[in-house]
Amino acid sequence: MKNALSILAVAAALAGPVAAKDFKWAGTTDPQTMDPHAVNTAAVLGFLNNVYEGLVRRGKDMSIEPALATSWEPIGDGDGWRFFLREGVTFHDGSAFDAEDVLFSYERASNEVSDTRSWFAPVSEVKVVDAFTVDIMTSAPNPIFPDSIANWMIVDKDWAEANDAALPDKENGNYATLNANGTGAFMVSEREPGLRTELVPHGGWWGEAEHNITRAEFTPVQNPATAVAALLSGNVDMINPVPIQDAERLAESGDVNVIRGIEARVIMLGMAQESDVLKYGDDAGKPNPFLDPRVRAAVAHAVNVPAILKVTMRGNAEPASQLVSPAMRGYSEANADRPAFDPDKAKALLAEAGYADGFSFGLKCPNNRYLNDEAVCQAVTSMLSQVGMTAQLEAMPVQNYWPELRADNYDMYLLGWSPGTFDAEHPLRFLASTPNSEKKLGSWNFAGYSNARIDELLPMIQSEIDDTKRQAMLDESAKILQDETAYVPMYVQPLVWGTGKNIELTQRPDNFFILRWVTVQ
Amino acid sequence: MLTFVIRRVFQSALVLLVVGLVAFSMFRFVGDPIDNMLGQERTDADIARLRTELGLDQPFPVQYAKFLQGAVEGNFGVSYRQGRPVGEILVERAPATLELAAVSGFFAITIGIGLGVFTAIRKDGFLANFIMSVSLIGVSLPTFLIGILLIYLFAVVLGWLPSFGRGDVVHLGWWSTGLLTSSGLKALILPSITLGLYQMTLIMRLVRSEMLEVLRQDYIRFARARGLKEKSVNFHHALKNTLVPVITVTGLQLGSIIAFAIITETVFQWPGVGLLFINAIQFVDIPVMAAYLMLISVMFVGINLIVDLLYFAIDPRLRAEQKGAK
Repeated sequence: MKNALSILAVAAALAGPVAAKDFKWAGTTDPQTMDPHAVNTAAVLGFLNNVYEGLVRRGKDMSIEPALATSWEPIGDGDGWRFFLREGVTFHDGSAFDAEDVLFSYERASNEVSDTRSWFAPVSEVKVVDAFTVDIMTSAPNPIFPDSIANWMIVDKDWAEANDAALPDKENGNYATLNANGTGAFMVSEREPGLRTELVPHGGWWGEAEHNITRAEFTPVQNPATAVAALLSGNVDMINPVPIQDAERLAESGDVNVIRGIEARVIMLGMAQESDVLKYGDDAGKPNPFLDPRVRAAVAHAVNVPAILKVTMRGNAEPASQLVSPAMRGYSEANADRPAFDPDKAKALLAEAGYADGFSFGLKCPNNRYLNDEAVCQAVTSMLSQVGMTAQLEAMPVQNYWPELRADNYDMYLLGWSPGTFDAEHPLRFLASTPNSEKKLGSWNFAGYSNARIDELLPMIQSEIDDTKRQAMLDESAKILQDETAYVPMYVQPLVWGTGKNIELTQRPDNFFILRWVTVQ
Repeated sequence: MLTFVIRRVFQSALVLLVVGLVAFSMFRFVGDPIDNMLGQERTDADIARLRTELGLDQPFPVQYAKFLQGAVEGNFGVSYRQGRPVGEILVERAPATLELAAVSGFFAITIGIGLGVFTAIRKDGFLANFIMSVSLIGVSLPTFLIGILLIYLFAVVLGWLPSFGRGDVVHLGWWSTGLLTSSGLKALILPSITLGLYQMTLIMRLVRSEMLEVLRQDYIRFARARGLKEKSVNFHHALKNTLVPVITVTGLQLGSIIAFAIITETVFQWPGVGLLFINAIQFVDIPVMAAYLMLISVMFVGINLIVDLLYFAIDPRLRAEQKGAK
């Protein structure tokens, strides 16, 4: 009977002009808004990349490729960039795309109330040359500008103005919070915040469809066990992430595919380098040993990263040597070696620094931000204790964690960093520059690491057009950070997705899920 | 009578105020919403600006006073996460929770009473003893585990029922119902069993012990002696008298079903107010958390108030005491 029914179903599907391909997927976070300029988080930008498009976009290997601009070229001697726009593009509501929409989207996205403002810090002016040419001028030469705007999405000027959404409103919301009108391959057909979002293909899309989806539905599922059950029972076709402890079992079960990849995010340890005294543990109030680079190097040698990868991450992650993963632009091949696990060397370094008997300090850790974060911190704690560094571990939800770090309530902490620009300059700006709120530098450099040469190199790296020279400077800064053990990079966080057997898709290192690469069999 | 009612209403309002104060003072321990609202590339200036805009830089009593003022006007603010009025979101989510609570309540009452009567009448029977033993699972296993076990069995292994969500819903005005579609009804089965199991066990055990008590009474023996049919004795005479305390307990349990729906809603990704609350905690969405806690406390205080007033209306002794007190 069941067979007969399924034969009927197949026959019905074949008989129709186009076989309907429904695709359902689940992730942990619902995009909190449909406004592409209101919130700069991976959940929102990743989702909206299916709906809105920028001048450029990232391919399957993260390389920059044309989208709403067909080509671009530098203007003068690094004065800016000229973008040639694609003609014949329509928004989901049918209106045409042109240079005015680009200018409007620049003004909207770079406004003070927009979360995406930082992308446009180097921009001095945007000029409409003609209906399909736009000049974006920068105050200093900016070689990676096209790379840095891959997530800058273009909205329709008339639509936004007609619906009172000329500016994003994150606090109170507006029409653009719940509705979308992009040029992307999919359009939002139904949106129930926190419950489900339905997408259908955009019939007037300019590109060649690589997918065969006729309807896609996203549901946020917070509980990992619920998501796994939904995948196994076929209620959804894809989940992200698969809990790392279930990955092996699921892959072996043969019912689903487990897709593993390496994310852009590097997980590292930070150590207080501003405070004169330790704040936690038995030695609270005593001079801060982490001011001594030898002690920081000892930490790097004491942490057994291969063991963490094998046990805690179950073989799903790769070791990291610097603040970016090898997949990022500007990664330093010359500094690819990370400090070896060598407890004896760690002890020797500690003795040299005058801590032969070790010391006690506080380690802060989030317990709901990165994969297995608390377990990693526990492993680090016991590894450090082997060489005499007694960490007093305090793990907390990320909502409480950032305020603690901002208030300098730690001696050592765990941090994950994913560069939004996919370039090695990004962590230099946010993690390694001397904190300076006026210049908007070092805003995540909680430890207060400071090195004059890094501060000097950063603006040069930002404006160097020549790739070889630029890489040489990135290599130099990577070496400085390694020599001084500014941070202890441990590993690159893995991506683990699960899909039904009948699904083919592409996993991108930024953890963005791109619907137009999905095929349902 | 009027003074009693006024005094009880006044007390209820006081309870609500205290609940609000306690809830509100706890929010500072849940964390800081700012980092969640701003992306990775935020600057210290962004943090300061948003903090001012949301009024989070003001002292706690001022924030509480503002919240109270808004609440009195029926305005619970705007959700930090969704950027929409909290009242609107709560109204959207309420039907899911109320339907789930109603169905699981119905399930708990009917099955609970049925099994309770059965185990009381056949108190030494094998099946009755078996049911009593199995029912221990209902009280001892955590809701979370029961939910996961049911999902595993009925959704993953057997593939009969959906593992999460509410299925298709039909919108009747502002009310969305899953009771009118087959996928909606199917989706209700597992979560309502999960949510109702504890209440069902409770009712069953209560009915059984009450029933055993009643069956020992003289009037039952006389009824039997008069040659009335066993069925008539059990259901007409005994059950009726059993149900009085059962109704009281069940009424009070109704509130807890709605309040404890949080866990069930999380396991089944059931789009009700409980799930909304859990998400709000993760996001430190203070306006949503505050409104939810107030809503739940209003409900509990309301139920208690009604129960008290009903007792007052039913039991003449209470009225006599009141007069005596004067």
